[in-house]
Amino acid sequence: MKTLLLKLEPIIWFMFGQGIMIGTMLLTGWILVLGILMPLGIVDPTQLNYVRAQQLFTTSLLGIPIAQLLLAALVVLPLWKGAHHVRSLLIDMGGGERDGIVGTVLYLIASVGSVMGIAAVASI
Amino acid sequence: MAGPAHPEAMAPPTPGRTRTAPPQMPSTWWSAPRIRTYLLFDATGVIYFLVGFLAIKIVGQLADGPIAWQAQMKALENPLYIAFHVLALASVIFVAVRFFRLFPKAQPPSIGPAKPPPGPVIHAGLYVVWLGLTALISLALAGVIL
Repeated sequence: MKTLLLKLEPIIWFMFGQGIMIGTMLLTGWILVLGILMPLGIVDPTQLNYVRAQQLFTTSLLGIPIAQLLLAALVVLPLWKGAHHVRSLLIDMGGGERDGIVGTVLYLIASVGSVMGIAAVASI
Repeated sequence: MAGPAHPEAMAPPTPGRTRTAPPQMPSTWWSAPRIRTYLLFDATGVIYFLVGFLAIKIVGQLADGPIAWQAQMKALENPLYIAFHVLALASVIFVAVRFFRLFPKAQPPSIGPAKPPPGPVIHAGLYVVWLGLTALISLALAGVIL
């Protein structure tokens, strides 16, 4: 397990790096509007009714489905930041002996979540 | 108090030439602000995990049709969801501020013949992109643009 994680380390670190950088940049506006301002009624929730949400999240630019690509990044990348930092936290809290299995499980969860996220975005 | 971190937790399978002191969590970690902040930075991973899976659920509801979408939007009005999102917003801002401060220090002195811009320029650039993207996404979601 540990050897496999070390072999996959470049991929894991790449996804973690993108999660912490791009994931954070994309999540801020999403959380602010969809998670706080709309539920509180500060922003009119009808601005994101089903028809408009469909249009917004399938916006293309020069034939590139830019909105779906951004949405896929928004749902997938935070999972990798989460997996790697939770692993790191558990090591620091004394879980080094179980790191091989814990790390594998965390990255598996992130991988499965990534497939689920991409499938959800593709099905819009 | 948890036990000390395993010294070989992040080590390569074969030992290198350089010997380093095994990392150990001091028993007074809770009273050390730097370690506390470092652990808090790691702990935001839990929030990112939850936010990611919640975002997948929200997008999935959009794919399931108008009734599912409306029900999801209504569910987000639950105070527990709002409280979680306030915590999540605090987490992403904390991560951004800390990571953007560390990022310039982690740059190599040069990549081939090219040298990275000065640290303050990288730092400012990250804030411009972050705030610009946040404004763009917020305005698009709120129906002001697009």
